Formats: sequence, structure tokens, C-alpha cells
Amino acid sequence: MKGFSALTEKPWLAMPDGSIAYDASGGTPPAQIALRFLLMVISIAFVLIFVTFLTRSQYPDFQALAGEPWLPFNQSPRLWATTAVLVAASAAMHWAWHSVKSQKPDGVMLGISVGGFLALVFIMAQWTTWIYLANLGYGVSDNPANSYFYLFTGLHALHLFGGVLAVVRVFIRIGQGCSIDQVAVAVKACTTYWHYLLALWLVLFFLLTRTPEAYALLAAACGLG
Amino acid sequence: MTHIAIADQEPELHHPRTFIGKYIWSQDHKVIAIQYACTAIFVGLVALMLSVVMRLQLGFPDQFDFINPNMYLQFVTMHGMIMVIYLLTALLLGGFGNYLIPLMVGTRDMVFPYLNMLSFWFYFLSVLVLLASFFAPGGPTGAGWTLYPPQSILEGTPGSGWGIVLMLASLAIFIIAFTMGGLNYVSTILQARTRGMTLMRMPLTIWGIFTATILGLFAFPALLVSAIMMLFDSVLGTSFFMPAIVSLGEATDYEGGSPILFQHLFWFFGHPEVYIVALPAFGMVSDVLSVHARKNIFGYRMMVWAIVIIGGLSFVVWAHHMYVSGMNPYFGFFFATTTLIIAVPTAIKVYNWVLTLWQGNIHLTVPMLFAIGFIFTFTHGGLSGLFLGNVVIDLPLSDTFFVVAHFHMVMGVSPIMVLFAAIYHWFPLVTGKQLNTRLGMIHFWGTFLGTYAIYLPMHYIGFLGVPRRYYALGDTSFIPDSAHALNANITIAVIIVALFQLIFIINLFWTIKREPKSRINPWDAASLEWHTPDVPPRHGNWGKELPTVHRWAYDYSVPGVVDDFIPQHVPDSDVTYEPGYDRTATGREST
Repeated sequence: MKGFSALTEKPWLAMPDGSIAYDASGGTPPAQIALRFLLMVISIAFVLIFVTFLTRSQYPDFQALAGEPWLPFNQSPRLWATTAVLVAASAAMHWAWHSVKSQKPDGVMLGISVGGFLALVFIMAQWTTWIYLANLGYGVSDNPANSYFYLFTGLHALHLFGGVLAVVRVFIRIGQGCSIDQVAVAVKACTTYWHYLLALWLVLFFLLTRTPEAYALLAAACGLG
Repeated sequence: MTHIAIADQEPELHHPRTFIGKYIWSQDHKVIAIQYACTAIFVGLVALMLSVVMRLQLGFPDQFDFINPNMYLQFVTMHGMIMVIYLLTALLLGGFGNYLIPLMVGTRDMVFPYLNMLSFWFYFLSVLVLLASFFAPGGPTGAGWTLYPPQSILEGTPGSGWGIVLMLASLAIFIIAFTMGGLNYVSTILQARTRGMTLMRMPLTIWGIFTATILGLFAFPALLVSAIMMLFDSVLGTSFFMPAIVSLGEATDYEGGSPILFQHLFWFFGHPEVYIVALPAFGMVSDVLSVHARKNIFGYRMMVWAIVIIGGLSFVVWAHHMYVSGMNPYFGFFFATTTLIIAVPTAIKVYNWVLTLWQGNIHLTVPMLFAIGFIFTFTHGGLSGLFLGNVVIDLPLSDTFFVVAHFHMVMGVSPIMVLFAAIYHWFPLVTGKQLNTRLGMIHFWGTFLGTYAIYLPMHYIGFLGVPRRYYALGDTSFIPDSAHALNANITIAVIIVALFQLIFIINLFWTIKREPKSRINPWDAASLEWHTPDVPPRHGNWGKELPTVHRWAYDYSVPGVVDDFIPQHVPDSDVTYEPGYDRTATGREST
């Protein structure tokens, strides 16, 4: 209703003197607004690739990476392990944000350090998964399912790496003597971003390790079958 | 609710002290805007030259040895891509968006000045990468600006090696630049407006830029995704879009990909892109018309809603670009219907522009002439769009010059008319000097009449069936001699129009060098950007205190008011009314 009333305001009427409302406290920080839009942008990009993935999965040459005992992700302990690392990274970032709220500088430093480090570990783990796949003969161009695996995980890792750069910046600012309040917005943004990338990874994990039958079902449900 | 603490960020402003800090690595939105504008205009002139060369070939086939079929296709591609992305999008949003947003909403700068600077340099890098393809082995890509696979990466197409890779890389860099800029624009508009600048008091220019930025943020990912996936296909040999295909007599390693998927992704970006260009132009032309007709914009709220509705609808019309690719007839019906529906809010805007002029005190200044010219060209381009939105009409016309004429009228000439209107209008704010009027008049009439000399006959030869994208028509029996003669006439008109643009460039330099300072706010505009303490505005824009907004930006010829206009920051108590005037009689009195 707030948005509706804003859009139905009568701008041709001048505001009476002294009636002009504004928020002197600052309102939602712009960084948070920008992050929300950024997450929408990233989501749109991934959703569009999901759509092409599901469409492509229904073509005869598509060979899923799970569903038969000999396929690499029929059992996927490797991916479960990387998932655990990312969950831990997300928890560490959440701890950092919690420490900001309770004004504990050591907790903030520890949280973002561990969160950033585990994100790097996750990226390295993904890299080893690529090598593992390539050594098994699942090269990037051998099959569209492989291509999508490399594409999805590569883009996800790239986004995570961007987040690590942001964490490093927070780290440097704290090192330069910025107070907790001065980095609070940045820490909150990093935490949100980490949670988002964890959620995105869970979706990717689910999508990339399905059987052909599951893809057929998903594609049909989305009207792409 | 506006957030004054965010808008008034003086302590955080980065005040440069060196030449490099001030003009190269600048974080001042105005300098960044000028950097964007100069780069965009430069690259736009390159694209203009390419179009002249293309037209020389079409008008006088086989007369010029320096144009061969490959070069023709490469020039078509680069002309289209540069004009749509690197000129129009960059100049309207990167140039005017950067300059006008903080000034019009009353803040000191963008909320992320450093990110803003990065945005420009990424854009600059994308232009360099794009232009580098002219010097790469094989030259730039000749796949057409839509870059459709499979032909864009097959050997028979010019630039299928380095050319397409550089194009895709450049697009990816451009999109990163746009995203950085776009996040800035949206956050600034939402969170950094000054006191009293409610959303519905923002000038329509800001509404246009705001909505177009959101469209860009949501649509460019489709182009980014398609560019990345095509890079995979081209460089790594994947088959996202590439089907099993024989190229130059040999079977390729590609298998099973779908070119149609690329088309969907491309046009999911491509159609909103039309409005990414059009909406800022709609906003700016509204403001120019209102100022120079000395009349408030007709139906302000309707104009805002129309901008928002057009933005929303632009995401559900994309497949009307793909009728010839083939689709389920029900889909064709759906997309034809949405395409025709989008004409409704668009028509509302056209009516409102005309009604703004109605009984206005019209000053036929150069910006006003370009703005009125826009109404003509946009209406003509829009009407031919109604033809092409229908499947049965689109199918025979889609591969002809009718389509070329249509989209050049609607998203080539029209936004460029607004760009010129905007440059002539806001030049005194940027430089403190008014562009030479006589040269401006010559520029307008040459451009306006010249573009009609180009595109009216182009519709006609399209109807005759002259196909687009062809290097030479040869002895095609169904094309009459008159079409060949018209083609030659069009080429002559193109050369003349291109020469008239030189007058504009000369005018820019002449004015900066020779013209005296103009008076502050020479058009007597009411919007906030004209009321800074210094003109051109200094870094930080607003002296010690931000202005407070008391009204909308369109208080011109207000009944009973002595002055011709009331600036946005003037409170009601400072407005002088005619003696004995009853303020409650007009319903303008606020309660």
C-alpha cells in the first residue's frame, strides 16, 4: 500500500512549508539495496541457464552425470564434502555478523577470516572435482551435461571469488582501524552474499546430480519437455 | 521517504587534487558522465562511418574496390552492435544518467563513487576490446549484430575466429560495467534523494533512467549468459547452441545444440534493450517539451505509470523477433497480442507529449525542434512496428529493408533526436555555454529531413521485397530498376546526413572555444539541476546545504503566479501571486 500511495501522490500540489518528511537517520544503507539488486541479477542469470539446461537435457545426446552406477555423480561424496565446506563458510560469516551485533571485534575478525578461507577451500575443492572429472574422461566438450557442470560450477566459483575479494576489503578496513560500526554494513552484505551462494550451490548440487528421469519430470513441469 | 544522511555525504566525497585524480581516475559523477559521453560519441562516429561505407556498396554496387562481401558483413555487424550497445545505451545511461541523476534528485554524488569510476573504465575497456577486433586476424565478426549461431562461429563467416571471441568478451565486460553503473543509479535514486524529493516529484527523465536501469539489470544477464555459453562453444568446443553441422564440406565436432535457445536468450535481452534505450529518451523528451513549451507535462502520473508498464511488458514480447524461426501458433498469437498491448501505454505517452504542446507557449529552440522531430520519427517508427508485430505481416517483411527502416526509425533516429535535444538542452549546464543556435538549426533540419529521405524510401523498397543483409542484389528479376535508383538516392541522403553531423561536432568545439558564457539557467527550467550554486556545478554539487524540494519539476505558466516558472526548491511562501488572485479556485492549493 505504501508503494501504491507513493505512485498516486499528486505532485502538482506544492508541499506546504514545514510538512516535508525525510528520514534523518539514513534508512536502508545503499549497499544493502545494491546487494539486493545484485542478487536478483545473479539469480536471473542462473535461472536463464537453468532453463537452457532443462531444455537441453531433453535432447537425445544429453547424458546425465548420475543415474547409473558407473556415472561420476551417482554417488557424490566429493560434492557432499564441498557442500559441507560451504555450509561451514556460511556459518562462519553468520558468526561474524552475530559478533557485529554483539560488538565483539575478535568474533568479527575470526568469522570473516574463517568464512573467507573456507570459501577459498571450496573453490579449490571444486577445482579438484574438475580434474577428477577430466581424468575420468568427462571433458568439458564431451557431453552437454559435462559442459553444464563446468559452466555452473565455474560461474558459482567466480561469484564466490568475488565475495572473497569483498571480505579481504573488510579485513583490510578493520586492520586500518575502522570500528565495528563502520564495517557493519559490509559484514552484513558479505553474510547475506555467503548465504545466497550457499543456497545457489544447493540448487546446483540438486540439479546436476539428477537422473534422466528426474530431468524429464522437471522439464515437463516447467513446460520445457 | 527520502534519506538526507545518504544524500548529504559531503564528508565521504573524494576530493581530487591532481589532474589525473580530477579528470582520469575521477569519482565525480559529472566527470564520469563526460568520459562516458565522449567515448560513446567517438565510437558512435566510427559506427556512422561504417554505415556510410555500407551504403556506398548498396547504392553503388561494385563501384568501390575497397569493399568486399566479408567487409560488408563485418561493417553491418559492428555498426549495429556499436550503435545499440556502445553508443545509445552507454550515452543515455552512462552519460546522461550519471550527469543528471545526482543533480536532479538533489544529492552530492552517486552513492558508490568508486564503483562509478570502475564502471566507466570497464566500459572503456569493452570499447577497446571491441575495436581491437578490427585489427585481429580475420577482422571483426560478420555474424550480424544478433550473433546467431551456428553461423557466427563457423569458418565461412568472416571473423569467426578472433572476431567473435573479442565481440563476446567485449560484451561481457560491457555488461559488468553496466551492472556496476546500474546498481549505483538504482541505489542513488531510491536512497539518496534530497528532502521533499518524493518518487512522484522526480522529473520524468529520472523515471525513464530508473526504469531503464532496472530493465538493463534484469535483461543484460540474458546477453551475458548467451555470450559466455557461445564463448564455450567457440573456444572450448561445447555444443550448447551448436547443432551437428557440416561446415565448408566437412563435418564439425559439434553435436545436438540448439541455435533457437540462443535466439530466445538473445531476444530476452534484445527486446528490453529497445526500451533500455527508449525509456530514458521518453523521460528526457518529456522534460525538454515541458520546459520549451512553458507548460507542465500533461498527465505526469500517467506518464510515470506508462514508463513502468512499458518496462514490465517489454519482458513478455521478445519472441516477436523470432516469428520467422518458427514457433507454436499459440505462442505467436500470445507474443503478437503482448506486442500490440505495449502500444497502448506507448500511445498514451505520444498523446501526452502532443497535449503538452497544445496551447503551450512553444519556443522553437534547437532542443525543442529535436524534441518535436522525435515525436514525428517515433510515431512513424511505432506505427510500422504495429504492422510487424503481427505474425502474418512480419513473415514476408522480416528479411526485407522494411524492418531495417522500422527499427532505425524507432530505435535509431528517435533516440538520437532525443540525444541531440538533450545535448543542446543541457549543454549550458555542463559547460556554462549555449551551443550556437544557427549551427544547431542547420544541424536539426539537415538531420530531420535527411533521415526521412533515408528511411521513407527504405520502407518502400522493403515492400518491394528488397532483402536486407545482402552485399549485392545482382540481377534479381523481381526487384525493379526503381528500387536500385532509390537505393542510390538513399545512399546520397546518408552521406548528406553524415556531413550534417560534422556541423554538430564543429558546433561543440566552436561553442567551447568561441561562444561567450551564457546566463545561468538559460531556458528558465524549474527542475533542480539548474539551480546549483555554481554553473557548471562543482564537485559535491550543492554548496553547504542540500536543497529542499517543495514541488514537482513542471511548474510553468502557473495561473495567478507572477513568474513564468517556479523552481522546485522554492517554497510556496516565496511565490509571488498576482494581486487578488484566488489560489483555491484552480485546485492547486495544497491542504
